[in-house]
Amino acid sequence: MKNIIAIDRLRLKFPGRDGLLFRDLSLSIAEGEKVLLLGPSGCGKSTLLQVMAGIIPHSVDVPMKAERLERPERWGYVFQDPDAQFCMPYADEEIAFALENRSVPRQEMPARIRALLDQVGLEIIPHTDIHTLSGGMKQRLALASVLALEPDVLFLDEPTALLDEEGTKAVWQTVKQVDRGKTVVIVEHKIDHVLDFVDRIVLLGRDGRIIADGEAKAVFSDYKDVIAAEGIWYPGVWDDYDRTARRRNRHQGEELLRLSCFRGFRGREAKIYVPEATVHAGEWIAVTGKNGAGKSTLLHALMQLIHTDGEYVLLGADIKQQHPLYRHIAFVFQNPEWQFVTHSVREELAYSLRLEGRPEAEIEETIARLLREFDLVEQQDQHPYQLSIGQKRRLSVAASIVAGQRLFLLDEPTFGQDAKNTFALLEMLEAHREQGAAIMMVTHDEQIVRRFATRRWVIEDGTLVRDEQLDIREPALAEGGAGR
Amino acid sequence: MKWEVRCRETWLHETNPSLKLIVLVVLFFAVLFIHNPNVLINVSLALFVLFCFGTGYPANVLFWLFLPFFLVFVSTASSMMMFGEGTTTWVRWGLIHITAESFWRGVHIGFRALALGLLGLIFSLTTRPVHLFYSLMQQLKLKPKYAYSFLAAVRLLPIMLEEFQTIRYALKVRGVPNKGGLSKVKRYAIPLLSQSIRRAQRIAVAMEAKRFSGSGRRTFYYEIGFGKYDVLFVALFAALMFVAYYAGVHYPYISISDVR
Amino acid sequence: METTTKGLKLADILTTIVIAIVFGVIYKLWGPLYSAVGVLGFHLDQLIYGMWFIASSLAYLLIRKPGVALLAEIAASSGELVMGSQWGLEVLIYGVVQGLFAEIVFAVFRYRRFDTFVVSLGAVGATVGSLIMDFYKGYIEALAPWNMALFLLARFIGAVLISGVFAVSLAKAIEKTGVTQMWRPASKDDYDALNR
Repeated sequence: MKNIIAIDRLRLKFPGRDGLLFRDLSLSIAEGEKVLLLGPSGCGKSTLLQVMAGIIPHSVDVPMKAERLERPERWGYVFQDPDAQFCMPYADEEIAFALENRSVPRQEMPARIRALLDQVGLEIIPHTDIHTLSGGMKQRLALASVLALEPDVLFLDEPTALLDEEGTKAVWQTVKQVDRGKTVVIVEHKIDHVLDFVDRIVLLGRDGRIIADGEAKAVFSDYKDVIAAEGIWYPGVWDDYDRTARRRNRHQGEELLRLSCFRGFRGREAKIYVPEATVHAGEWIAVTGKNGAGKSTLLHALMQLIHTDGEYVLLGADIKQQHPLYRHIAFVFQNPEWQFVTHSVREELAYSLRLEGRPEAEIEETIARLLREFDLVEQQDQHPYQLSIGQKRRLSVAASIVAGQRLFLLDEPTFGQDAKNTFALLEMLEAHREQGAAIMMVTHDEQIVRRFATRRWVIEDGTLVRDEQLDIREPALAEGGAGR
Repeated sequence: MKWEVRCRETWLHETNPSLKLIVLVVLFFAVLFIHNPNVLINVSLALFVLFCFGTGYPANVLFWLFLPFFLVFVSTASSMMMFGEGTTTWVRWGLIHITAESFWRGVHIGFRALALGLLGLIFSLTTRPVHLFYSLMQQLKLKPKYAYSFLAAVRLLPIMLEEFQTIRYALKVRGVPNKGGLSKVKRYAIPLLSQSIRRAQRIAVAMEAKRFSGSGRRTFYYEIGFGKYDVLFVALFAALMFVAYYAGVHYPYISISDVR
Repeated sequence: METTTKGLKLADILTTIVIAIVFGVIYKLWGPLYSAVGVLGFHLDQLIYGMWFIASSLAYLLIRKPGVALLAEIAASSGELVMGSQWGLEVLIYGVVQGLFAEIVFAVFRYRRFDTFVVSLGAVGATVGSLIMDFYKGYIEALAPWNMALFLLARFIGAVLISGVFAVSLAKAIEKTGVTQMWRPASKDDYDALNR
């Protein structure tokens, strides 16, 4: 079959970094092929995808050269971040933007917009505020506006990295429906839904070289060890994890927190209600519920970020006497960048300790220990924003719990993380739990709930409706699941 | 422009945004050259009536929108009244020196601030950003790369406001003291700006990936032209200025006709 | 996808405008503060007037290209206008004039210097622009001489401190986060490395 993409001896270098990202990389893709690019984070998968599309060097200027570079004429590119690929406020206007760029006559636009929305299964009125859509719907809208370009090749750059399971499923289902013989090139970390769709896998190594390239099933089974080591979410990843996980101690300690007729307000409206609940040392509480049910609001209320009333006893005293609260409760936000307040990893870890006025020698010692524990020794002088996604997450957790708090509140901490980082993070939290901390974590991931939680709180329409003890499961006995 | 508040669309929403902008800018300069307080008071009152009944917003919203303008009116007027020069002294108390001249000058400048404020408010309350920029591209030949950049930035506003709130929470959680003027601005500005800059760069790449070229031919989803309301709009403002001027000169409230 | 090397690229424009809109929000919040301080009298409000020039300083420091200072100030004031500024349409016209004067200062230095001195000078330029507008609008010449001197001094000092010194320190902090990397051109070494 004819090649639609051909790269010969590509060399590419990011300014200011040592060494080349790609040295003489060659790759070609035939018309109609469905290709998955796999590799560790930082190996240049997305960069390669952008070179294939021509985004590099047309829109992003990076020093590069290649002996031969054949790129498709008509292509579409879906990016990772749902909030960073739209330029118009309404769904119809966003699709129209792509149509306008191709000078489609105005009279034809409304019908085409309708058809494109149908094609990606978005049952919304076209003039809908994009801001009101869920992540999964936004990504399908992104796909619709890319389809408006009538592309021969679709480039998908981790389109589901920032989506929950439901959104992920919907996006891949849509991709499979719209494909119609198009060439599709995918970069993805969560490959459960992708594996049966692609017919070829290209595996890149840490040094930007191609390790393996061939029929999907064969590459997947031959290189499973490499794939697992790179933290990719593959089918059965949890089962493999269970084989290495150790037995857990489920000892429950003293009461840390008690709530009774507890309400949290946004403005004048009560947005979360907890009739009665307690939390003990050594517990791991999974807070679950639908999007918008009030899970984050519950955490905000417990952290007193919003106004609350009712009874709230923390460590045996009324919450009002436990000021400042950050000494007793560690809080981790969904986006780690929001909570960085200094300019280096070291300073970030030292921040709370300095605030407490701890002696400098003790601070140094604690930092050294945390850098090792959270695997950040090499990055200690970097700016927090310059870290990788996984490192950012580890730093945000480390910096939050440094003051030795007893209660950890975490808002979807594993969101957007690869498998390796997720396991590392969960293990670290588990170690703290065993030492007598209590963990309360918002999550959508049943695999985590099943393996780590000792208790589940279900939030529905702003109320804690169910509080159930979960069975102790030995890791080896845990049910095998289909990955995430 | 319209954010969360839903309003009734009035005929002012139907006028051509570019035309509206030009008329209001012309009026802006016209107001700067009015030195007769009687005329200016008439103009301000007329604009106030239009603001109350022409923009289609409920009364309570209008009240809260108007409040800061009233503050500007008071502060502008009072600072000019109390420290101005003049010959006919009314009150002298320490540094405060109110003269007849400075008093009327203060009133005049207060009304001027009010009139200018209302002009802007009427414009932003009755214009959707998307329509404005489509009109600027079509009528005033604004380059698409500027127009769509503005629209993309406007889209980011609600996201930024949410982020602002989260950063506030995060700083509290980390125990960052909630004080210090410029250092506080900095604590918010760094995460907010760096996130926004990165997002802006990504959006620009995404726009070009959708074959957006900053110039060259393109079609428009919204075609913005002219209609009967545009005639009405120009006629109304011409009449308004004429009546205000005529009444101000012939039926003055106060005897001063030039505050300079 | 034809990208012209001349003039500002889409990413430059979009980023400048987004930075400006962030400051548009800050400007809008600054308005009531300014009015509140103004009630205290003695032109204390003029000390914080300089905040209204910071968008142009910062855009210039981060993006370092001709035209961004002017564009930033126009965009920030449109943003402020759109959010219902208490000064209405006037902010837009002030924005144009202020941005233009800052831009002229940067142009005089051929867009090659990004230190506190030049940026402060840009802030002074913007202040001159704002004074020209005030002169037409507010009859500031009618103030008593001592009062006038105080007024001018306060505004210039405030501008240099906020839109000069503070803007530079803010830009440095943002630089460290790495988001401005795309505007720092690749060195010849980087290109040479491709052939090694």
